[in-house]
Amino acid sequence: MYQSEGRDFWDLGAQNSFMRYREVLYVLVSRNLKVRYRGSLLGVYWSLLNPLIMTSVYTLIFGTAFASYYDNSIVRYMLGAFSGLAVLNFFSSSTTQALTSIVLNGSLMNKIRLPVSIFPVSMIAANVFQFAVGALPLLMMMTLLISHSLTNVVVLFLPLLALILVASGVGLLVSALFVFFRDLSYFYELVLFLLLISSPIFYPQEIVPANVRAILVFNPLSSIIASLRQIAISGHAPDYSLIGHALLSGALTLVVGWICFKRWHHQFMDLL
Amino acid sequence: MFQAVASPVYGFVVMQTICLDRVSLWRRTQEEFSYDLKKTILSILEGKYHKPPKHLVLDRLDLAIESGRKVGIIGANGAGKSTLLKLICGILQPTSGQVRVRGRIAPLIELEAGFEPELSVLDNIILYGVLLGFSRREMQGRTPSILAFSGLEDYALVPVKSLSSGMVARLGFAIATDVQPDILILDEVLSVGDASFKRKCKQRIERFWNSNTTVLLVSHDLEFVRQECDQAIWLDRGQLKMQGSANDVVDQYLYTVRQELDLDSQEWNFGLKEVLC
Repeated sequence: MYQSEGRDFWDLGAQNSFMRYREVLYVLVSRNLKVRYRGSLLGVYWSLLNPLIMTSVYTLIFGTAFASYYDNSIVRYMLGAFSGLAVLNFFSSSTTQALTSIVLNGSLMNKIRLPVSIFPVSMIAANVFQFAVGALPLLMMMTLLISHSLTNVVVLFLPLLALILVASGVGLLVSALFVFFRDLSYFYELVLFLLLISSPIFYPQEIVPANVRAILVFNPLSSIIASLRQIAISGHAPDYSLIGHALLSGALTLVVGWICFKRWHHQFMDLL
Repeated sequence: MFQAVASPVYGFVVMQTICLDRVSLWRRTQEEFSYDLKKTILSILEGKYHKPPKHLVLDRLDLAIESGRKVGIIGANGAGKSTLLKLICGILQPTSGQVRVRGRIAPLIELEAGFEPELSVLDNIILYGVLLGFSRREMQGRTPSILAFSGLEDYALVPVKSLSSGMVARLGFAIATDVQPDILILDEVLSVGDASFKRKCKQRIERFWNSNTTVLLVSHDLEFVRQECDQAIWLDRGQLKMQGSANDVVDQYLYTVRQELDLDSQEWNFGLKEVLC
């Protein structure tokens, strides 16, 4: 047990330590973004390049073949692919950066007392910022043009919230595991590939056999992608059961990640 | 929250800044840990997996340090001196027992860890200060005095990676000591920058030394501990061997070390004779 009194510390009572956490989070995220973009905000748009290129490649190759599943519209296929890739891109970049974050800051944590969770969380937060200035405006524009409804634009934030929850949960989990297993990044690449293949991004969900589709339900990203597409591209009013499903799987992932992190984080300092 | 620790000494109430109550710490050694998922899974499948052992690093330590004391921590390598400092800073959590600390701690141990080489000196001052426990606004107010003390006014917008290592060390020292801490942690005596900066550092540390700041110093320079500290703690393989006035503890420590040396050399002579005969 450790007790202390002084402004340096975390156990000052909930409000103060929350303020501290926010301050440290702010400087870590701004460090991260400044290093990444070196003062040029245009750099943010580099991160859009990847999903845009991938979207055009998928559309060129699969667009005509799958158009019949998308009301015979290649544009609709393209938008579907883009929204799916935006989700997956955010997820994979934020969690791979979170993965190494604790180990990379190990020497710092050996010198200054800091809450361990702040490092993976700061990586997720930096990616949220990047998403908010990069892909989000495009998605919102898309939604407004297709649905002509402001409700859809506002509700769009709910599946994205679910996405942040899933990414935080997985980010906490893998960052903790990486402390113990430094070869985890190779395995995690495989996991990301499985997620890409098992999410209905470049193919319509209908082509998957029904018994296999039952397994794909366990992919926490697929309900998010389904809900996002329903709100953004279908042109119908938001389907709240889909949103509920996405938020539920997001909350569950975060709880599992957080519990594992809490259980293991006492062992970190011996191995950093 | 902190529990008031006060002990009446001769009618006065002396506040204890640091109080350890039967503190033990078990740690895994990094050398014995495989860090390898593939190997771990394979060894579990082969049934050869065994949990990496833990070692007792600190053994039921009881310690009370009153505020304003200058305490030297001595002992052989691996006795747990730096570990003790980490416990007091709250970086490590004790396996059992209780650590209670009152006041703001300034750790002066290898100061460069918090810097981001790509960012400017200005950004790094804010970053490092916030990591050390200040708010961003406070750090903005402190920036001029930190730049002045470290002599880096002309480098405010230069990225830290283009500073010399001496300049970086100066910057770290300036940030960590800009505000007088309640507890100052010194792991080994500082050797920061050139001669003139060393003098500035020394003056600043002396100012803390002469004020009510509690100082914890790990050093192998026994004469320095004897002269400058008023108390000393002797750690031996994780146990508190002795605590008392710096003079007594250093004397006893030297006496024991010499005796061990004598014993060693006797055995050595004995062995040599056997070989020769």
